[in-house]
Amino acid sequence: MQDKQTQTPKKGFDLKQLTKSRGFSAFTAALLAIALGLIFGFIVMILANPDKAISGFRYVLVGGLGRFGDVLYFATPIMMTGLAVGFAFRMGLFNIGASGQYTMGMFFALYVGFMWDLPNGIHWIVAIFAGMLGGMLWGIIPGLFKAFLNVNEVITSIMFNYIGMYLVDMIIQGNGVIYIASKSRTNYLPSTVQIPSLGITGSNVNLGIIFAIIIAIALFIVLERTTFGYELKATGFNKYAADYAGMKGKRNIVLTMVIAGGLAGMGGAFAILAPSAIAGSSMTYEPINIIAANGFNGIAVALLGSSNPIGIIFSATFISHIQRGGTLANLVGYKPEIIDIVIAVIIYFSAFAMIMNAAIGRFIKARINKRHQKTEKEAK
Amino acid sequence: MENYIVEMLNITKEFPGIIANDNITLNLKKGEVHALLGENGAGKSTLMSVLFGLYQAEKGEIRKNGQVVKINNPNDANALGIGMVHQHFKLVEIFTVLENIILGVEPNKLGFLQKSEAKEKVMALSEKYGLSINPDALIEDISVGMQQRVEILKMLYRDNEILIFDEPTAVLTPQEIKELLKIMRGFAEEGKSILFITHKLNEIMEVADRCTVLRKGKYIGTVNVKESNKEELSKMMVGRDVNFNVDKKPAEIKDVVLSVKGVTVPSKHHKNNAVKDVSFEVRAGEIVCLAGIEGNGQTEFVAALTGLDKMSAGTITLSGKDITKSSIRERSVSGMSHIPEDRHKHGLVLEYSLEQNMVLQRYWQPEFQKNGFIKFDAVRKYAEGLIERFDVRSGQGPISVVRSMSGGNQQKAIIAREIDKKHDLLVAVQPTRGLDVGAIEYIHKQLVERRDAGKGVLLVSLELDEVMNVSDRILVMYEGEIVGELDPKNTTVQELGLYMSGAKRNTAKEINHAG
Amino acid sequence: MDTIYYLIQNMLPVAIPLLLVALGGMFSERSGVINIGLEGIMLFGAFFGALFVFTIQGAGINAQLVLLMGMVVAALAGFVYSLLLSFAAVTMKADQTITGTSLNMLIPAAVLLFSKMFFNSDGITTNMGFFIRKMPVLGDIPVLGPMFFQKTYLTVIIGFVILIISVIIFYKTKFGLRLRACGEHPQAADSVGINVYFMRYAGVSLSGILGGIGGFFYSVGILDGNINGHSGVAGFGFLALAVMIFGQWKPIRIMFAALFFAFLRTLAYSIALIPFLNDLGINQTYYKMLPYVATMVVLAFTSKKSRAPKAEGIPYDKAKR
Repeated sequence: MQDKQTQTPKKGFDLKQLTKSRGFSAFTAALLAIALGLIFGFIVMILANPDKAISGFRYVLVGGLGRFGDVLYFATPIMMTGLAVGFAFRMGLFNIGASGQYTMGMFFALYVGFMWDLPNGIHWIVAIFAGMLGGMLWGIIPGLFKAFLNVNEVITSIMFNYIGMYLVDMIIQGNGVIYIASKSRTNYLPSTVQIPSLGITGSNVNLGIIFAIIIAIALFIVLERTTFGYELKATGFNKYAADYAGMKGKRNIVLTMVIAGGLAGMGGAFAILAPSAIAGSSMTYEPINIIAANGFNGIAVALLGSSNPIGIIFSATFISHIQRGGTLANLVGYKPEIIDIVIAVIIYFSAFAMIMNAAIGRFIKARINKRHQKTEKEAK
Repeated sequence: MENYIVEMLNITKEFPGIIANDNITLNLKKGEVHALLGENGAGKSTLMSVLFGLYQAEKGEIRKNGQVVKINNPNDANALGIGMVHQHFKLVEIFTVLENIILGVEPNKLGFLQKSEAKEKVMALSEKYGLSINPDALIEDISVGMQQRVEILKMLYRDNEILIFDEPTAVLTPQEIKELLKIMRGFAEEGKSILFITHKLNEIMEVADRCTVLRKGKYIGTVNVKESNKEELSKMMVGRDVNFNVDKKPAEIKDVVLSVKGVTVPSKHHKNNAVKDVSFEVRAGEIVCLAGIEGNGQTEFVAALTGLDKMSAGTITLSGKDITKSSIRERSVSGMSHIPEDRHKHGLVLEYSLEQNMVLQRYWQPEFQKNGFIKFDAVRKYAEGLIERFDVRSGQGPISVVRSMSGGNQQKAIIAREIDKKHDLLVAVQPTRGLDVGAIEYIHKQLVERRDAGKGVLLVSLELDEVMNVSDRILVMYEGEIVGELDPKNTTVQELGLYMSGAKRNTAKEINHAG
Repeated sequence: MDTIYYLIQNMLPVAIPLLLVALGGMFSERSGVINIGLEGIMLFGAFFGALFVFTIQGAGINAQLVLLMGMVVAALAGFVYSLLLSFAAVTMKADQTITGTSLNMLIPAAVLLFSKMFFNSDGITTNMGFFIRKMPVLGDIPVLGPMFFQKTYLTVIIGFVILIISVIIFYKTKFGLRLRACGEHPQAADSVGINVYFMRYAGVSLSGILGGIGGFFYSVGILDGNINGHSGVAGFGFLALAVMIFGQWKPIRIMFAALFFAFLRTLAYSIALIPFLNDLGINQTYYKMLPYVATMVVLAFTSKKSRAPKAEGIPYDKAKR
């Protein structure tokens, strides 16, 4: 009883008390997965070219530090797809369709950028919202399939990644304003639709990262402070109990997927609407029938951030950091795909890092106990 | 020293947090029926799982015919002639009876199944022991009693001579139980040795030669059943005299709270309806018990009543309001509280804290939220109040993660939540399942207290003692129908059993009249 | 008639990879492990198959023999790669969907990395001709000859042989019975002394072997023996999962589902040759989307009554009963 009084915190659910150990172990688990991913990447580098492996690996590890602006710039889209995956995860949904939602968002933003003539200062804002809408559209479909037809969201999302990709590529290729056939890429976007730069020289970092961070914080508040967050997490933990408590499961599934889709869609918009450091140009898109990688990188970001929006801010920055490093490793002959390998390995180990973490913890504890016993015996 | 076929000596088995078996010794004679008695959680199943090789004990040894043996897995157990009928049948539903019997010991040539050979042996066994089965039927299509026969045939097919039955009677009708006990006796007379796990004293008195009693993981003693009696056994089991009767005043019955008319619910497993044309009423100030053997439509009926599942016909009226088409939330708001059958599946979000679970039905009410934001202070205060009033114990009070709490306290939390919520009707489904005697008494008291506070209580129970002692009126459900209405004061357990097994029924007219 | 011959001749080499990979998925899921990593496994098998063909193509060995050898290499590669999934999903009890996703992401990157560094391209290009204009004897049978034994690949015959073997293993052997028990009720299997972990490793390994072969056959039958890290196997691993669900986790039904999907795809790529469809003037991309859209339609109609293996996706833990 005394315990209870001293422990009774003043405010709120106080998740700190509750998740102190859980949060901590999630963090160490993420570190473990990262370490294993990097070690694996290093081994691949040695196999590919032993002479340059060390200098290449150094680029991967610290290369990004000198280009923090770029790191943030490239972190923006994967932060958004990471949030898209992570938010749905909390509801117990695996949104592997962030790629398609991202592509759709990018396309909607492109469309508004080229086809709508809007005044400076408004154009890019409208384009971002268009991107959000596009992503929502592609998110709601798996949501509806899941809620009303009981089709697993994983398979739907994958199919809609392909459908979205083909559809967008087809429409872009068929539009003479957007597409330059001779260069097989999209035209340069008008400057009115480019997101204002943050003005760091030599970098494309722009307001997008600020928006992404604000959105992440907003999502954190939604999850931890609102009744919707309460319902969403309850459903993710135990959907039967959520039903029993009268929560509208179907509505929440659709709503969650719409929000997730909107997040990924904005990610696509942020990516394509980013300003270019080279005057008179812009970001472009090549419709070559390839699924957007940023969607899948979002899975890694979400897992590393243990689906916590605040954690995702950091994990996205980290992934972007090693991606920059990977690009720099090109200087000594390594291809940037090395980072995709590292990311895949990180996801692989994230899937069971918590279990591994616990096992290692037990092992260390046992060793310490043994040592204690030993010293006790010796003392006697 | 007597000759024992199996000796389990000083067995200790620990799980994280609890010692399930603490230095337990059990000796089994050849050709005897040996009962293993204890309450839920006394460690009976764990001990048998150790014998069957599903768990390995930390300490102690097992001897077969005096030789020390190591049983690391069910294969080892099987090789020693030990077989087990599990409480929850271990049958593959989409396989046939025959496939289930031979699984693991398939007769084969170069890996190819020889089913006709297997079928001959199975049919011979089936005939010899009077366990008739259809070898080609799918498990999902046959009755629970039939499934149990398949489990028994599994052991016989493996030529097991030591047969473990883990609570085999829980899912059977009184008549089927009688049949099973006779078969067990027959096995013993043939020289097989039987270990019979149960917590039902009548069955022990009827069939067992000796009885070993466990309590809270500890060995209490072994007695010859003939030299003992029910009172002694029950005292050994619970450690004190048990008051089987629930103290309660005569019911003061008032207005109708719940009226159910013609409710029909389709089954998820087969084409027939799981609930057929069920009609009855519950009045304020009475406890109505829906009794029956497991799997006779009670679960489906409750799901339809509370809105978890759809029904295909019928109407439900709660306090004069038609709630037939209402959502779960609307029913809850209209005055229905629900203590669910499976507290882990439905009743709690185990990862949430105690206080978060306390508002599971009410988090959206203005008391606990404003503009969609949860009022954490109000939640904390409310939870603390309930914890104190209902004596819910946990490690860290309102912020304890519910998963870390004991089953009894988890159930108390649900009861606190459902009782404190505004309600006219309390639906309590097997509220005492898996709990110890203290918690059971507490819950029975709460149910009676609700009744006396003028609420209607619908209790769904499988336990005959609970049915007889707690309720004011009994409705018996059999194969989805209400087959009888009984007054617990004017009926016997035997009569109740006849209704539950479908051997006896009131005519529909009589029931309607009585209702 | 020629159009029909043409469609069937083109459909079968497409159907076979789908069939084999879906059968692989069936073995894995019926043992209780969801294998969403089939896409990666296919590409891994295809890459090593193509790499093998690339290294041996100058040696003057008979092309069909090379195909058989390449098949063995691809099967081994798929088997080894699938061990990553078994280890994570069975031994470490990790989330099977996430693990499968990581396997899908790893391989395209690895293929690209190595191809770029060693071949200075995005994949491997071989010059071996596996195409069979007409098989001796069989090709002369009227009607059936042109349908199945002309203008085709050896992969078609091998594919159907593997289907028959799969059916026998699945339904007629002790192994098949035990495997199915593990995906449905692992506790029951455990209680009769079946090693659930072993059976699940076996199920996933079979899916690795079939996935690897399927990937190689995709490369042979659709990409002329080449493989590319960018386009990979174009979602065939995922389509195979849809085929498996459509086929209700049963081998013969899976065959029909694979033929159905292959037919749609062949149709999509043969529009120009079918006057009626060509005249409609619909953008070809719509037809390319057809298999994916069809998957959605099929799933929408079947999933309510579809019956997945009961225990799939749930790691088996001996300690929990």
